[in-house]
Amino acid sequence: MHEVTILVELVKMVEEAAKENNVASIDTVIIQIGQLSSIVPRYMREYYPNTTEGTILEGSKLKIEMIPGNGLCHHCDKVFNVAKNKGKCPICGADDWELLSGREFNLKEIVVTENKS
Amino acid sequence: MDELKVIEIKKSIYESNDVEAAKLKKDMKDKHVFLLNLMSSPGSGKTTTLVKTIEELKSEMRIGVMEADIDSDVDARTILKTGVKAIQIHTGGMCHLDAPMTKEGIENLGIEDLDMAILENVGNLVCPAEFDTGATKNAMILSVPEGDDKPLKYPLMFEIADVLLINKIDVIDIFDFDIDVIKKRAKRLNPDIKIFPISARTGEGIKEWTDWLRSEVKFVKESN
Repeated sequence: MHEVTILVELVKMVEEAAKENNVASIDTVIIQIGQLSSIVPRYMREYYPNTTEGTILEGSKLKIEMIPGNGLCHHCDKVFNVAKNKGKCPICGADDWELLSGREFNLKEIVVTENKS
Repeated sequence: MDELKVIEIKKSIYESNDVEAAKLKKDMKDKHVFLLNLMSSPGSGKTTTLVKTIEELKSEMRIGVMEADIDSDVDARTILKTGVKAIQIHTGGMCHLDAPMTKEGIENLGIEDLDMAILENVGNLVCPAEFDTGATKNAMILSVPEGDDKPLKYPLMFEIADVLLINKIDVIDIFDFDIDVIKKRAKRLNPDIKIFPISARTGEGIKEWTDWLRSEVKFVKESN
């Protein structure tokens, strides 16, 4: 049910942006999910229609972009996918690395129609 | 057909919570109250640890407790027996507390007459780690029966915790739990984490843990 709580936050954020930008209707909401965040894209899609019901987001599409969980190896300076390589650099085998990306959960952009002024 | 327009936003979905959390953190500092956010999975001995901690400290400082749960008030009633102020916060099905809910809890509890407020978060190692409550410090409990592999499975929790309490240390001999391994795994995620092995049942390690709390409460009390 974790995804529902997070979707509620997303709805609030989109509503705010819609108000600020004089939006008439929302066509698509584009979000970014890091591969290493605890958010499951499948559940986001599944709960999206219910969570957005009765809001300006109702009927809109949800587009999800995944951000890879990449780490930078401190030994050989190679960038590698942390999840695929189970937390070890595939080149030199070191487990001394820093995370570059993969924890994100962002509202990237919204595709809208505007109110005619 | 109306023309479609793209509005770029590029904001973290946690941002509004982070803003509220920062406000609450400052407010607590200004009022000289230490707010502890205590997190763990269900059954790790959170409430028992809390009772032991309160018993150790209640004669020297004023403590208030907020018990967060999806439903029921069993935990708040247990805490009330220690003689300190306690309220129950129902999250209404939510798996964690966020900063606005914590703020509301603080208002209901009333902190003007307190030195330390403790928030017992919902039993869960995932969601509470993602939402900053605005607490001065975060502590987490991991109990021996849960296993020493938990930093590998729930890294974010270990990254955001200032303190790791390893509870139920009195039964370590009957479990496959390596204290050096857990320390290494936790420190790798968070080099600054303080680790206290404790037993809420026997009282082992409680002094070291409460000494840390004492110095933190004193620091908040004396800060400008």
